[in-house]
Amino acid sequence: MNKTVAMACACLVALAMPLAIRDDYIIQLVNIGILNAIVVLGLNFVTGWTGQINFGQAAFYGLGAYATAIATKAGLPWIVTPVLSVALVLVAALILGLPTLRLRTYYLAMTTIGFGEIIRLIIVYWEPVTGGTSGLRAIPPISVFGVSPHGLIQHYYLLLATLALATLIAIRIRRSALGRAMIATRGSEIAAEQSGVDTTRTKLLAFMIGAVYAGLAGCLYASSIRFVSPDSFSGVQAVLLMTMLIVGGMGSITGSIAGALALTFLPELLRFLGQWYLVLYGLGVIAVIVLMPGGLASMMAMIAPRRGAQR
Amino acid sequence: MGQLVVNGLALGSIYALVALGLLMIFNTVQIVNFAQGQLLMLGAFIGITGAVTHELPISLAWLATILAMALIGVMFMLLVYFPLRGRPPFLVVLTTIAMGIVLENLALIIWGPLPVSLPSPVRGAPLRFAGVVVSMHQVAIFGTLAVILLLQFLLLTKTRFGILMQATAQDLHTARLVGIAVNRTIAVAFALGAVLSGIAGLLVAPLFLAEPTMGGSLGLKGFVVSVIGGFGNLSGAVIGGMFLGLIETFGARYISSDFRDAYAFIVMVAFLTAWPRGLLGEKASEKV
Repeated sequence: MNKTVAMACACLVALAMPLAIRDDYIIQLVNIGILNAIVVLGLNFVTGWTGQINFGQAAFYGLGAYATAIATKAGLPWIVTPVLSVALVLVAALILGLPTLRLRTYYLAMTTIGFGEIIRLIIVYWEPVTGGTSGLRAIPPISVFGVSPHGLIQHYYLLLATLALATLIAIRIRRSALGRAMIATRGSEIAAEQSGVDTTRTKLLAFMIGAVYAGLAGCLYASSIRFVSPDSFSGVQAVLLMTMLIVGGMGSITGSIAGALALTFLPELLRFLGQWYLVLYGLGVIAVIVLMPGGLASMMAMIAPRRGAQR
Repeated sequence: MGQLVVNGLALGSIYALVALGLLMIFNTVQIVNFAQGQLLMLGAFIGITGAVTHELPISLAWLATILAMALIGVMFMLLVYFPLRGRPPFLVVLTTIAMGIVLENLALIIWGPLPVSLPSPVRGAPLRFAGVVVSMHQVAIFGTLAVILLLQFLLLTKTRFGILMQATAQDLHTARLVGIAVNRTIAVAFALGAVLSGIAGLLVAPLFLAEPTMGGSLGLKGFVVSVIGGFGNLSGAVIGGMFLGLIETFGARYISSDFRDAYAFIVMVAFLTAWPRGLLGEKASEKV
């Protein structure tokens, strides 16, 4: 099976999906899966390509979502919210990235975990604005100069188009000098520096691009799901997003998307396991890292071997 | 005021103990164990199972916990580190995080979500001077920290085994080449790291209550404290622990107690910006 044919098939399936599935619950879940896929694509820049551990992705997601929810509920027109979300996450990413990305890998991991915790505390305790643990309801819908998508299916196509755009941008960046610098940084920072790559700048750019993906996904989350609560952007969610990337295949664009979709559905299918689900989930992550470091993407590559495989 | 200082230092000693366990592992294999807090939680609950559920004398419960933690440390190493040796270290970071999730949820299944209390290993009337009350448990915390710091220092510098550990830390391959049983050394480092966090758990549980989800924030604070002191530096970790304990106690009293967990990270980011090598300087630089 040829790569182009596979891509075309995937696109056709994605476009035809709402015709075959009439269940609102499943379409809503797919919509959330697409949003997660955008966030995981963002994470792939930082972790998959540049090799930095980032647990702040859920917090950036939440920052975008809450900024959008609060701004539109206060009466601002929707069109300003993507700009607002991006500006906020960029500032946060700079504050976190500048001091930590010069240092060891662990520092970014810890700082972003801490950042996630701070964002959660602010959401929970700043109740008059954020709604506390009960979240914010009835968030105004997406509206571009009076035009709004109606119903789950129209939202589905809108989110699908955004995912397609996010994927294209990711492919372009991967093939640019910046993308090659990211891969070099992951391989060996010292070797990359020797070859003239500014690794600190590369890491910072990857981190910021990832944050923008998450912030925009958060913006779309708030105004398409129209309900936000702290649980959706917690530390557990941060680990889950990382797991999506690992299971999908670190460094692979198709893997990121596949991992995000698969792990959005898996908890729903395995709900009957209760608490045991998380135990098996942790062991599963270890098993994937140890036994199948390429994730789902490497499995797909095994099924369809191709020459000059690109990561 | 004086009371806040004592409480802050006691809390800080706990953070320092967590950091010492973290550094025991880090200084041998250059891996930060993100499940250190969950190991601490296990220590607390094994102690509770012994002392409360089975009504063992507290000293016996401590002994049982220490032995169990040593065993758990070795199993932890075999599952999380061993299969990934020689692969990029950030993969090990991810497996330790996954193991933390496993341990936390196993604990929820075994012990349930409700907080439980553990009696202190020492009894007796609190000491009082100049209006400041120091409970016997706080004395026990300070004492344990001092003894462990001393033992760890002696182990690393004065014993044959400590030298083997340092050699392994410096260069694993050369250490193996000159005949050091590298894997055994690493297993012992993990066992000792787990024992240290188990002891920290036994000391935390009487202070606050123990619950399965307590590990996350304590583990992270062990890291923050190490960053403040200079990563890898044992005395730095103790100073960093005291520093953070004081900041949290005073911050909770005078600024806001809702945000007490946030101070640690704000302090860490401040340190990484201003003094990335910490108060006493980082022990080792990144290896090529």
